[in-house]
Amino acid sequence: MEWGQSITFSALGVHLLVGLSRAMILFIVCSGLSFVLGVLRVPNVAHGSLYMIGAFAAFTLNQLFGGGAVGFWMALALSPFVVAAVSLVAERALFCRLYQREHLMLLLFTFALMLILGDLVKIVWGADYRSITVPELLEGSFAVLGSSFPKYNLFLLLMGPVVAVGLWLFTNKTKIGKIARAAAVDREMVDAIGINVSWVFAFAFVLGCFLAGLGGALVAPTISITLGMDHDIVIEAFLIVTIGGLGNMWGALIGSLIFGVTQSLGVLFWPQFAIVFPYMAVVIVLIWRPTGMLKSVW
Amino acid sequence: MVQSGSFNWKRIWPYAAVFIALLLLPLAVSRFYVYITSVIFVTALVAMSLNMVVGHGGMYQFHHAAFYGVGAYTFALILTRTGWPVWIGFVAAPVAAALTGLVIGWFCVRLNKLYFGMLQISLGSLIWAIIFRWYSLTGGDDGIHGIPMPSAIGTISRSYYFILLILGACVVVMYMIYRSPFGKTLQAIRDNPERCEAVGIHVKRHQLLGIVVATFFAGIAGSLFVVVEGSVFPDLLFWVLSLEIFIMCLLGGWFTFAGPIIGAAIMVSLRTFVGTYTEYWTLILGVILILLIFFLPEGVMGFIISRLRTDKAVEE
Amino acid sequence: MLHVESLRKSFDGFLAVDNADLTVEQGEIVAVIGPNGAGKTTLFKLITGHLRPESGRILFQGNDISGLPPYEVCRKGVSLSFQVVNIFARMSVFDNVQVAVLSHQNKTKKLFSPAGKHGIDETREILRNVGLNDKARRVSGSLSHGDQKVLEIAIALGNRPQLLILDEPTAGMSPEETQVTIDLIHRLTSDLGLTILFCEHDMELVFSIAHRIMVMQHGRSIIEADPETVRNNEDVQTAYLGGR
Repeated sequence: MEWGQSITFSALGVHLLVGLSRAMILFIVCSGLSFVLGVLRVPNVAHGSLYMIGAFAAFTLNQLFGGGAVGFWMALALSPFVVAAVSLVAERALFCRLYQREHLMLLLFTFALMLILGDLVKIVWGADYRSITVPELLEGSFAVLGSSFPKYNLFLLLMGPVVAVGLWLFTNKTKIGKIARAAAVDREMVDAIGINVSWVFAFAFVLGCFLAGLGGALVAPTISITLGMDHDIVIEAFLIVTIGGLGNMWGALIGSLIFGVTQSLGVLFWPQFAIVFPYMAVVIVLIWRPTGMLKSVW
Repeated sequence: MVQSGSFNWKRIWPYAAVFIALLLLPLAVSRFYVYITSVIFVTALVAMSLNMVVGHGGMYQFHHAAFYGVGAYTFALILTRTGWPVWIGFVAAPVAAALTGLVIGWFCVRLNKLYFGMLQISLGSLIWAIIFRWYSLTGGDDGIHGIPMPSAIGTISRSYYFILLILGACVVVMYMIYRSPFGKTLQAIRDNPERCEAVGIHVKRHQLLGIVVATFFAGIAGSLFVVVEGSVFPDLLFWVLSLEIFIMCLLGGWFTFAGPIIGAAIMVSLRTFVGTYTEYWTLILGVILILLIFFLPEGVMGFIISRLRTDKAVEE
Repeated sequence: MLHVESLRKSFDGFLAVDNADLTVEQGEIVAVIGPNGAGKTTLFKLITGHLRPESGRILFQGNDISGLPPYEVCRKGVSLSFQVVNIFARMSVFDNVQVAVLSHQNKTKKLFSPAGKHGIDETREILRNVGLNDKARRVSGSLSHGDQKVLEIAIALGNRPQLLILDEPTAGMSPEETQVTIDLIHRLTSDLGLTILFCEHDMELVFSIAHRIMVMQHGRSIIEADPETVRNNEDVQTAYLGGR
């Protein structure tokens, strides 16, 4: 434990910012999970697999377009759609037949999907580590408060709110978004007024997975893309969504902030046990407010 | 069906036959199959212990592996870090697991259903994170390997018999509990907690007792894991294992008593045998699970039992 | 035996029970009547601890039981039979009653003894008393509605209560089943010495067996007296009996 090191203000500031930018990725992933949870009432354990596919797809697309700036931006733009396509196939072929079943069966199904997708990634990409290099525009770092803050993290800090606003506009201002929200609250009513609930669910599921893929594509340049990414992110995502309030997008944001920031502070104060900090924070929140900090849709 | 506790030999003999076959197994097959059967025994025990809470108690025990892992690590640490005799490890493992169950259970029991599960996942993950990072104590990500066993249970066949014995004893005790007043009360709580309150049952206290008993058995399974594998690693407390154990119960049929054993046997056999043909055994497992969801929703055991019931009804 | 004073309970601003009063003496059969939504079931749930009152007192045999959780109220000797059938649908009829008996005998934490050895005689006796002993082995979810209502009562009896509260015991029953239940209620008071508090919509039933009647409307007690007085009371006639 490095208490001896003086924790400077600038170090604290930069760590906070890094935590916030990490929280943005978590938020993007969790907003998708929250959306699916809210509309379909399904805990999608395969959400992490789609995140992982997003990262791997970004890698391949990046290579396809020759790397560099073009590769990066094309990969970022297209990989969420790849993931969306995969999820659409899964949903129409299998998932949609299970909506009548109990939650535990749906959980079991998404677990089976996680297993399958995990191995599919292994088949397509193999078990090696992959990586993507950041394009020149976003390379390097700023000096912030006397310490260095990576430019890419600033990019993430901007992407987070963009997605948040975009999602909010989508669910509150577009017709289909409003229908999805209505279906979350009362699916029978939506059905009764003649809307095909099945397609609403398909749409919601695909959107949620799109966001997971986007999160994966965004995180890809900052980490080594490996198998096992799916397992790691899913537990974090579920805990975040729970402390935020199930199905609540703003709750997902708050939860992500808590998780990201506590983890960064952990790295600063007690690096060896950095990952314990966010779990501890989750435990404290759940003991204090078991149903989440904001109202859940359930 | 005879309600009282007297023995009904007609119903016992199939189980006795299976037990005798298991006793003779090491004489008939190679060491590898004996080892695999030991693994099945340990897995079956932890799955049965989960089913006590989930299937019989109706609680959303989403992170049962945490207690299993605590038992395993306790046993491993006692054997490698202290000079205490092995039997202390066998006692300490379930006790540590049950204490963990008591603490975590106390927090979780105050919540309903899904939130019970989520709090448990967070508390269990917290323990996982601590073990994962406490390199000096637990070996961190590497785990602890090469844990020495006393020679009495040191070989594959000796450990097999030891585990079979303990499993047998545990199954008998668990069955007694299943048929005891407590077992009935727990099932009643599962089916209708409001009515139980109305007839004077302190629901949360009974649920907590159920968790402590179940995690005690999970701790025993944890110590047996170390006997079979000789090592421990943080994955024993990872949420994926908890979900796998949960699925064994669903696979086998969670309203039955012996269902989890079938579920465990299926999962372990699949992993082992499919694994010899292809490294993509998880894919196969996923496909099989999906087939089961679509075609056998009550789980394998549940399906078998309902077939037996309908056949019987047709006879009558 | 039971004394309810100025009880109040509201849900989200809706005043369900408003200064309700009720007295039940030992050995009596007391009925609570009133139009739908008058607050009868809420009153019962307040007494048995399923709901907490905002103000007022509930005294049972001299002890204040207001605000106690249901399992404690039950242990004091008050048992409730629910309006909407609330049995253990997956378990057999026998097991349903046995759970209550085991709870009463404090044996619910016994781990190492077969349930088949405990509470058998008491359970059989209760089933005989209510007339369900020939259906003891059947899964309770498969019983007819009338039998399930009787099972409701049987479960409540498992706790050997002093006060038995029945929430619409004959709702949905055929005339034959209703008569059987009436006989049962009589037997419970005369043979077992139980005190019974119930609510019903079947006025014939109420006036034929109740010693006293309490009338509720809009959550408050309008009157509490013997059947004749109640029948002749003007307020009751206009509010409820409607000149029928």
